[in-house]
Amino acid sequence: MTIPQSIHTGTLTTTGNVLLKVDNIALGYGEGAAEKRIVDALSFDVGLGEFISIVGPSGVGKTTLLRGLSGLLKPKVGQVVVGGHVVSGPHPDIAVVFQDYSRSLMPWMSTRENVAFPLQGRGAGKAERNKEAEAALEAVGLGGQGDKYPWEMSGGMQQRVAIARALAYNAKVLLMDEPFASVDAQTRFDLEDLVIDLREKLGVTIILVTHDVDEAIYLADKVIVIAEKPATVVDVIETGFGTHRDQVATKADPRFQDARARILTRLRHND
Amino acid sequence: MKTLTNILWWLWLPVVLVILWWFASAQSTNLFVPPLQKIVESTIRDFGNGLLLTAMATSLVNLVLGLLIAILFGVIFGLIIGETRRLRLILDPFIHFFRSVPQSALVPLIIGAFGIGAEPKIYAVAFACVWPIMLNTIDGTRSVEVGVRQVSRVFGIPKMLYFRRVVLPGAMPQIVAGVRVALPIGIVVMVVSELFASNMGLGFYILNSSSTFRIPETWGGAMLVGVIGYFLVMVFSLFEKRLLSWYFKSAAR
Repeated sequence: MTIPQSIHTGTLTTTGNVLLKVDNIALGYGEGAAEKRIVDALSFDVGLGEFISIVGPSGVGKTTLLRGLSGLLKPKVGQVVVGGHVVSGPHPDIAVVFQDYSRSLMPWMSTRENVAFPLQGRGAGKAERNKEAEAALEAVGLGGQGDKYPWEMSGGMQQRVAIARALAYNAKVLLMDEPFASVDAQTRFDLEDLVIDLREKLGVTIILVTHDVDEAIYLADKVIVIAEKPATVVDVIETGFGTHRDQVATKADPRFQDARARILTRLRHND
Repeated sequence: MKTLTNILWWLWLPVVLVILWWFASAQSTNLFVPPLQKIVESTIRDFGNGLLLTAMATSLVNLVLGLLIAILFGVIFGLIIGETRRLRLILDPFIHFFRSVPQSALVPLIIGAFGIGAEPKIYAVAFACVWPIMLNTIDGTRSVEVGVRQVSRVFGIPKMLYFRRVVLPGAMPQIVAGVRVALPIGIVVMVVSELFASNMGLGFYILNSSSTFRIPETWGGAMLVGVIGYFLVMVFSLFEKRLLSWYFKSAAR
């Protein structure tokens, strides 16, 4: 897989080192007086190659925020800028891994076809598509399993396929919506470590949305805590763990404990 | 051994029924309920002289062409209507209206409007079959997972590719069910269409024999239509299993 050139050459002159900028956005459903505002006055920056977690209690509007970031929902106010371009709809620089793999993978396509499908949408030829898909499957530890169908795989493997699909799309930013919420604990740890590994190897910029505080701290360089109604940023915590993590050592680190206490207090305080 | 047992299970009831019919009707003197033996004899004779084969070929060509037109229009319009909320709201009553109109009753009108020959008969079959296929396609389109729709949007899948690779396969189980419903309707309309201004096909064979009081032929023709219907549904199920193998296998998990 090739990483988009712009990441290495730093052509993002207008934004400096910031790859994605969320600038004072408001998100909601409905129009005018009937509008139900879910997210308001929310801003944060994501640096090139950074891993950001967005954590907040259930029902705070995380999915709405993700829809806004991915271009599926247009902000009422403010804008999302990626690589210097305002996001006005689904954007080639943004790939998404959805929570529910069983609904986001297409059962009539083989694993390889699922991964290659977004590339087909871009007009890539069959040979090229299959090559990229195979490389992405390899990267998530599913090399040589492209002929299998998603329903022949376990939940964890299916979510790996969904991650491979997002990787193959070669976007600059990977958005993940509670990607490990529907798998068992062990698989969850495996997938978390896979994502850390991918980030280390491929240098992808990742934004992960989760309600799990431990997961948010364990994975990210920067945890953005959202709360209140409508949702807004209430705290930002730099974890400072570097790119390498360990399920036991990292979680025993005093910085981890401090961050955890701070976030939990913050969220309780906002109830 | 298992298949043999299956075949026996599947066969015993029809065999018993035919035997019962054979003996119960053997002494019949009622003109309209001839002995089964006479029905069989007349059918074998008309197969032998090619009469029934030609009639069958004519009818089946009309049926298949009509069905193909119905599938083409039913699926294309069904996909478009299913994906367009506004269109669905406007057209839904019309589709249910046309679906409820007794198609056989419209056949004389279609033939009156389009004239004699094969074409109006094909249109009649197509018109009768298109509604269940279209309705099922619309339902099938609605049942495509929100998740795969979102994926298609996020990854910027172009409209045509989206229809071809996402909506169509996603709706396919219901489309196929719609065709299965349309098949017997098509067979009925196929026969009925040959009762009007026609000198070919199974419908004509049935009508002609009954109006000249060759009642065993009438019975034979009607039974043959039933057998054809049965075999078409069987062949269709095999095709269905192949086409939807992902669906059956994933549902079995």
